[in-house]
Amino acid sequence: MAAMTKKLRPASSWRRKLFMASFLLPTFVLFSVFTIYPLLRGLYLSFFDWSGGSETMSFIGMDNYKELFTDPIIPTAIANDYFLIFWKVILILLFAVFFAVALTRLKLKEYGFYRVVFFLPNIISVVVIGVLWSFIYNPSLGFLNAFLSLFTDTPVTTNWLGSAGSAIWSLLPPSVWAGIGFYMLLIIASILAIPSSLYEAASIDGAGEWKQFTTITMPLIWEQFKTSVIHITITTLNGSFIIVKLMTEGGPDNQTQVLGYYLYQMGFKQFHMSYGATIGVLILILSLLTTLILQRILHRETIEM
Amino acid sequence: MNELSINRPRRRIVSKTIVRFFLLLWSAVVLYPVIWTFLTSLKDNQMVMLGKPWDLPSALRFENYSNVWNRAHFGDYFFNSLIVTVGSIALSMALAATTAYILARFRFKGRGLLYFAYIASMMIPTTLGLIPLFFLLSDLQLDNTLTGLVLVYSVGTIGILPFAIFFLIGFYQSLPKELEEAATIDGCTDYGIFFRIMLPLSKPGLITVGIMNTLTVWNEYIMATVLTNNPEKYTVPVGIAIMQAEMQYRTEWGPLFAGLAISMLPVILMYMIYQRQITGGLTAGALKG
Repeated sequence: MAAMTKKLRPASSWRRKLFMASFLLPTFVLFSVFTIYPLLRGLYLSFFDWSGGSETMSFIGMDNYKELFTDPIIPTAIANDYFLIFWKVILILLFAVFFAVALTRLKLKEYGFYRVVFFLPNIISVVVIGVLWSFIYNPSLGFLNAFLSLFTDTPVTTNWLGSAGSAIWSLLPPSVWAGIGFYMLLIIASILAIPSSLYEAASIDGAGEWKQFTTITMPLIWEQFKTSVIHITITTLNGSFIIVKLMTEGGPDNQTQVLGYYLYQMGFKQFHMSYGATIGVLILILSLLTTLILQRILHRETIEM
Repeated sequence: MNELSINRPRRRIVSKTIVRFFLLLWSAVVLYPVIWTFLTSLKDNQMVMLGKPWDLPSALRFENYSNVWNRAHFGDYFFNSLIVTVGSIALSMALAATTAYILARFRFKGRGLLYFAYIASMMIPTTLGLIPLFFLLSDLQLDNTLTGLVLVYSVGTIGILPFAIFFLIGFYQSLPKELEEAATIDGCTDYGIFFRIMLPLSKPGLITVGIMNTLTVWNEYIMATVLTNNPEKYTVPVGIAIMQAEMQYRTEWGPLFAGLAISMLPVILMYMIYQRQITGGLTAGALKG
């Protein structure tokens, strides 16, 4: 950054300054109104009791935050969020790394085909994915039970999304299905940046594919791997509730409740706006904390190439 | 000849076959639900209700599409989505390109801070902005308007602006600085340099960012559902969710899947045309980050 700055053009004349302001200000004003201000207003709201109507807002200090600790649904929601994060990180990255290594190291002719196909779910709206998978899980008409019924005498009628035991697990396949392609591409890019001479030297030394993977590929893609873990964590905390809203609405009996959907319910279904805003602040704090902790845990000395 | 050198190639062929099997299996897992959506969109209700989802449609019911387009108002939703997407991309690109150019090529007080503000805002959860943005739009009397949605998408907490700024800064920094010097000697003004030289040169970067953000906006659901409750302003994803919710009372599977197909067709078409920019842009951005 410092080296870059020296080469930059200075803001010498007033004419130049006017030019720069005319390019910077419109963006910054709109960004302040629609990004910075809502953030501050969310924080501000969390200290009030307010239903969202026109009646008075009363200042209640930390009461909304105290409510977070006594509300029995909050621990369930947090546990579900981290359940989804844990399994999504493991499953998505397992598949993504496997596919990325397979596609780059085996030099297949069909490389381009797989690359294009595997990324396809990432361009589809999460609404479409939610509706599609709800139908796959449909107890009487869906694909999953029809498939399982092929192997049984009586038709399978499991209500995947409606039973307490299976509902939260059923949210994983669509999330993993939709997530792999994106991370696979990121990991492919960082594998392609590894000099092929390293692999050549290793195979002359007699190192097999697995040995090459653990001693060359993994250490050299670690930064990208770490970024991917953090990215999955943040996007799950932030966006998993859309799939929840479309597939289970948090049910049965809050078994699949997550923070994001609870915020939406509190704000827009029960009109407890200020409490909803407080849940928003909780989501922000959790994502920052988790990012920090993950940065610590996943930190490795960077390897210079 | 030792044992190793004979076994190596054979083992490689075996492992290649096993890996190919998994790759083909996953391709089927990805493609089948998508193809199946299009097939089911052409089935009549009775066929879907049979509970044999893999059967091919017995007769092609193209009227599912006209049904959902006209009777379920997907035609209107489609045009709303189109207007919102075009508006958001145009506005966010104009705002991002100008800011990114100054941040990339000029030195001034507060430059680092401004850069930090934009980049840090990518860390803010979208959900945090949900409730405040809802009230902000009512205050501005922009609730239930497509203009409101355009503003929230282009400059709100959804994050397409910071992504575009971040990506385009990298692009402008890569252009040689002699360009501006030569243009200044030729008597070009600052505006002239930007609009006549830098902007045309950054076209590949603008296209990549534009396409990636188009996907985000076209597919966006949560902001649209919170910020509009007037059916005349629904976008396609909101329309699909409403239709799915109504399925409890009246089952119309064919039209519902036709709705899914209408949502997917434009992005799949775009993906087929701009596949290189989409996957390439993504990896270029990732390498810098």
